[in-house]
Amino acid sequence: MDFDFSDEQVAVRDLAAQIFTGHATVDRIKQIEAGNERIDRDLWAALATANLLGIALPEEDGGSGLGLMSLCLVLQEQGRRLAPVPLLPTIALGALPIAEFGTVEQRSTWLPRVISGEAILTAALDEADSIDPAAPRVIASAGGRLSGSKVVVPAGHIADRVLVPASTPDGVTVFVVDPSADGVTIDVVDTTDHQRAAHITFVNAPTEATLGRAGDGAAVVRWILDRGLVGLAAIQLGVADEAIRLAAEYTSGRLQFGKPLSTFQGVSLRAADAYIDASAMNVTLWQAAWRIDEGLDASREVAIAKWWAADGGERVVHATQHLHGGMGADVDYPVHRYFLWGKQIADSLGGASKQLARIGADIADAYR
Amino acid sequence: MDFDESPEDAAFRGEALAWLAENASRRGPVTANAVADDPAHVARCKKWQATLADAGWAAIAWPAAYGGRGATSRHQSLFNEEQSKFDVSTGVFAVGLGMAGPTLIAHGTEEQKDRFLPPLLRGDEVWCQLFSEPGAGSDLAGLSTRAELDGNDFVVNGQKVWTSGAQHSDWAILLARTDFDQAKHKGLTYFVLDMRSPGIEVRPLRQINGVAHFNEVFLTDVRVPAANVLGEVNGGWGVALTTLANERNFIGGGTSSIGFANIVDRARASGRTNDPLVRQELAEAFTRFEVLRFIGYRIQTAFAQGRVPGAEASILKLLYSRHVERNGNLGVDVEGAAGMLSGADAPDDGLWQQQFLTQWAMRIGGGTDEVQRNVVGERVLGLPAEPRPDKYAPFRELVRN
Repeated sequence: MDFDFSDEQVAVRDLAAQIFTGHATVDRIKQIEAGNERIDRDLWAALATANLLGIALPEEDGGSGLGLMSLCLVLQEQGRRLAPVPLLPTIALGALPIAEFGTVEQRSTWLPRVISGEAILTAALDEADSIDPAAPRVIASAGGRLSGSKVVVPAGHIADRVLVPASTPDGVTVFVVDPSADGVTIDVVDTTDHQRAAHITFVNAPTEATLGRAGDGAAVVRWILDRGLVGLAAIQLGVADEAIRLAAEYTSGRLQFGKPLSTFQGVSLRAADAYIDASAMNVTLWQAAWRIDEGLDASREVAIAKWWAADGGERVVHATQHLHGGMGADVDYPVHRYFLWGKQIADSLGGASKQLARIGADIADAYR
Repeated sequence: MDFDESPEDAAFRGEALAWLAENASRRGPVTANAVADDPAHVARCKKWQATLADAGWAAIAWPAAYGGRGATSRHQSLFNEEQSKFDVSTGVFAVGLGMAGPTLIAHGTEEQKDRFLPPLLRGDEVWCQLFSEPGAGSDLAGLSTRAELDGNDFVVNGQKVWTSGAQHSDWAILLARTDFDQAKHKGLTYFVLDMRSPGIEVRPLRQINGVAHFNEVFLTDVRVPAANVLGEVNGGWGVALTTLANERNFIGGGTSSIGFANIVDRARASGRTNDPLVRQELAEAFTRFEVLRFIGYRIQTAFAQGRVPGAEASILKLLYSRHVERNGNLGVDVEGAAGMLSGADAPDDGLWQQQFLTQWAMRIGGGTDEVQRNVVGERVLGLPAEPRPDKYAPFRELVRN
């Protein structure tokens, strides 16, 4: 056993930290939040220039082939700085699935453009009335035309292509959709974390191609979902770590009753509990990411990582928000964003109870 | 023991309901704008408060001598329960009616009561509370805004923060330090301050829930007549304790515009009422509403029997802030993926998001959860108080922010 990151992984993490810290300052984030897209295009270009967008993509597609763990290291640093870039949707929900399931043509069309920062991708997984993204209510005709709607699609308002699971007479199929096509309506919506997403409605809308074979979509969706869930857990770990650091700093610097707030047990015990939660988030995240990179079954581990990210992560950001007292409610002070991101990530792609249900079902199957 | 309402209370409730039905319209679906702090909201509150005063329903628990109904705070809460069913608000008078008024009644001179209580009760004048400072939150007695006697006036300099409604206020209750050589609790004086005095600057704070309810208030050479001291010079802490006890009661007894039925409606609209986990949460929410209702009645009953509830107010405030947190979480969680949306894009026009984001005001304002737990530990359980070296030294010598 070895719980250390390799020199290569440490280099990736340090590079990512340097870029996110340099770009995603509080002033810059405020500026992005006042804009329309809510995406920091300069930072996106800097990530491309540093070769970080292709870090997890195969070498034959122009990437670095360093696996999901390297992507998670980058996402963790993004979370630490709350950097508004569509890294998770473009890479985990878009490019990795195309690298895994795409045709040679799909790979050569999209992956170089992702790596250079030109293309933004996403997958539309959530629906208003379906709780399982692998059993969508959006339907596709025999000719591959879509009807129905997906909700809160991350980066859906700026994506160049969207992966859309739909039910067909042959089973579930994942389609590649050009969101500018006729019959596709993009409704831009505001999300909890001050970013934007899209509700996407399809009315007899054309699709470009399938991703993977027609009828194999349920397995493709589960594959995508697992990368998405692990990626969210990585961002959440960065959010939690930094929120705890901020709370420790704030409560140590603020004096009440003639001493630092952090010396009151009501404060220090709550901070310590938050740190224990973050430690559990840390080990469960890396276990899931490592198993995926090793090609091992990770179904239960992914759900465990996301459960900790949702349940523990929310507890952490509640604690850090509370320990900042009134400052937590003041939007001119940066800590509230950690709370908002923590909540958003907890609820993304299925909240805590959904993960428990998945783990429970898996355990019941195993001991049947 | 009798958990049922007495026939007298039921009759009072009926009388209140009948009058409300004649004078106000029933509340429609709850909306996210219920906590809006714009001038139109202030105008609505003023109009309704005047209507209440004309009919004898304003300040039901105040003595008749000061324009009240001379009834008990239990009657006030019965009235509030009925009033919450109607599309009216007295929100902007929370500090005036809930805190400044009772403090004036307890500590004011007859002249002060005559001057301030009638317009407060009619809603002609709005009040705010200048207590918290950037360096004095939980440790309120550590405040350092300074008031120095100059002729017949005190001259005030300092900064206050988390001041609800300062931008709409005519008057303020102000706590300032008049003696830096005494121990922290002993050098404070309680003032009534005209918010139109020269030298006052109000800057709104935009909050996580999108509302600018709180303000920073900067006081520069503000002159307050010595006649506006409430209680004794350097005796302000005792006066402030009356205000703080009333604040806890007020927050804990808050009739939120959100009722249990609203939560069930949301769960039903999101198609989640068959989910066993959601059903458990709904059942827990229901029990919370019931527990709070009865603890609230217990406190009101204690008042009615002439006992002053002390630590019960802390218990109620603690339970209530947790209740608000859990309800906000539940409302957002049952929305599923739509729970990630905010503002007008979210279900019910962002109502549940706003509930979720407003929980912080509850858990911090009026004494944090930790402060309330300390009160319960020390005053109910009789645990020894934490050693407090800051309590006895001259304020001037303390380490401060």
